[in-house]
Amino acid sequence: MHRVGLLVCLCRARTRFQPGIFPAQSSTAALRDRAREPCGSSRGRTGPAGLREGGATAFAHSGPGPSRPPSRRAGPREERGGAGMAARCCQAGLSCGALLSQAVLSQAVLSRAAGGAPATPHWGRAAFSSAPAVSGREGPQPREGSVRRRGRTPQFVRSAAPPRTERMAVDQDWSSVYPTAAAFKPASVPLPIRMGYPVKRGVPPPKEGNLELIKIPNFLHLTPPAIKKHCAALKDFCTEWPSALDSDEKCEQHFPIEIETVDYVSSGTSIRNPKARVVTLRVKLSNLNLDDHAKKKFIKLVGERYCQKTDVLTITTDRCPLRRQNYDYGMHLLTVLYHESWKTEKWESEKSEEDMEEYIWENSRSQKNALDTLLRIKASENVSNVTEEELLASEVVKNYRNSVTALKNEGETESNMSQYKESVKKLLNIQA
Amino acid sequence: MAAAARALRALPRALRVPSATRQLHTSPVCLKVSAGGAVRAGKGDRPVTYEQAHAPQHIGHRKGWLSLHTGNLRGEAGAAQRALEDAFLRRFLAGTFPGLLADEAVLKRRGNLLVVCALLGRALPPHKLYFLLGYAETLLGNFYKCPVRLELQTVPARVPYKYL
Repeated sequence: MHRVGLLVCLCRARTRFQPGIFPAQSSTAALRDRAREPCGSSRGRTGPAGLREGGATAFAHSGPGPSRPPSRRAGPREERGGAGMAARCCQAGLSCGALLSQAVLSQAVLSRAAGGAPATPHWGRAAFSSAPAVSGREGPQPREGSVRRRGRTPQFVRSAAPPRTERMAVDQDWSSVYPTAAAFKPASVPLPIRMGYPVKRGVPPPKEGNLELIKIPNFLHLTPPAIKKHCAALKDFCTEWPSALDSDEKCEQHFPIEIETVDYVSSGTSIRNPKARVVTLRVKLSNLNLDDHAKKKFIKLVGERYCQKTDVLTITTDRCPLRRQNYDYGMHLLTVLYHESWKTEKWESEKSEEDMEEYIWENSRSQKNALDTLLRIKASENVSNVTEEELLASEVVKNYRNSVTALKNEGETESNMSQYKESVKKLLNIQA
Repeated sequence: MAAAARALRALPRALRVPSATRQLHTSPVCLKVSAGGAVRAGKGDRPVTYEQAHAPQHIGHRKGWLSLHTGNLRGEAGAAQRALEDAFLRRFLAGTFPGLLADEAVLKRRGNLLVVCALLGRALPPHKLYFLLGYAETLLGNFYKCPVRLELQTVPARVPYKYL
């Protein structure tokens, strides 16, 4: 009795663990197909198409048939096969597996196959050096999904259509493939691009499933023909530049005040940027109607905002919260400065030598000293009294005046110094 | 501890007891950064993607950025808000496409528009994927009050870069 029992057990065990027998595979495939096509229309399926492993020919007759419900075919072998799969999956004993009803088993398998909820997407082959592209090479297979056995759990893999790149003409309209900015789609870009750091003794990974190519911004939507189309479309909304303003000087003559504002673009749900309220006003003082006194007063009023070299006044306003308000404030400042500089206050007559912007020789110490010296020279030579006016009008004094003014106003240069030397020699009548 | 020592010195000699101090034991500082580590801890048959294989110090050199926006530029505002949105978006995607994400999602912001580029596996039929796409776009658009566009790509399998 015991010997018989043992024998039976052995037989059953052998059947359980025999590799290459996947009747349940065919049954699940059939079930799946039935689930998808309740009307049972045939699809030109070959029998063992889904079964790639050897040893399935023994069960070819139990292969998928649209009109044959596999549950009714459940024989001992099928049950055991299905149970064996469950056993392989959940490490359950054979008896437990056999006790499970076929329907429940197939349901569990179906849900696992279709949903794949607890399992993550399975791994493909590393395609970094010699393997061809993985996607798109599934043409010869039937369109419906196939069951591949990788590892212990059967994963349902849906094959897709071949990529669009295989059907693209060389002279196609590229702007219809990428009309707007979009992520990189390897199936839509017919270029053999590789990107990434290569593994040792390998090449960069190919474009299929390459996250690096997706991360970077691409400009596939901005090819020159596409930009030409954009320009042609925008032309209707553009107006011509006025023909009268054909040079910078004319622009400056008609529009002397330049307003500079900055708009900021950023990514996010808010368009507000506090830096956008700053307004800069630029104008050349030569374009304003100012006389000598007004200009000097104007420059004193604005202080650092005036650049001597370029004769440009720059006013930057940002004290108001809105750009419009800052612009109005800037224009108001310009108006006020202009009018104030034309007025002469009473206290302006107290302007002293320290307040002068440039050196004026008249009534300066240099003039006094020069005249003093000349008068003493004349007195020592016993010449008749010459008046100061005569001295001032004389050539030598005028030369001296020019040279000293030039030195003080323009600074020390070679020509200025030599001119000063000559004028002093002439003044003191030194011939050397 | 230094204050306790000073206080002890202030006491008269008779009252000073050596064991009246409190000591603090410190160990040398361990400054090793171990983030993003891809370590071989087995037989060498564990596949990793390109993203997982490279550590954070390779960002900018061998890896790009998973999230592109202007918040992290100098003088720009909104970095924290974008970071928070990114964290929520990744969790949302992990929940909407459970078990389908083949790799990290790439988030791009173009002005107001938020573009989510995700690589998915092919376990779901297309009509279900489209439903989830519309669902995610609508819900996220209503959450963040900005247009959200999901650009999904399917790959037959996760692409392994190397085996660790």
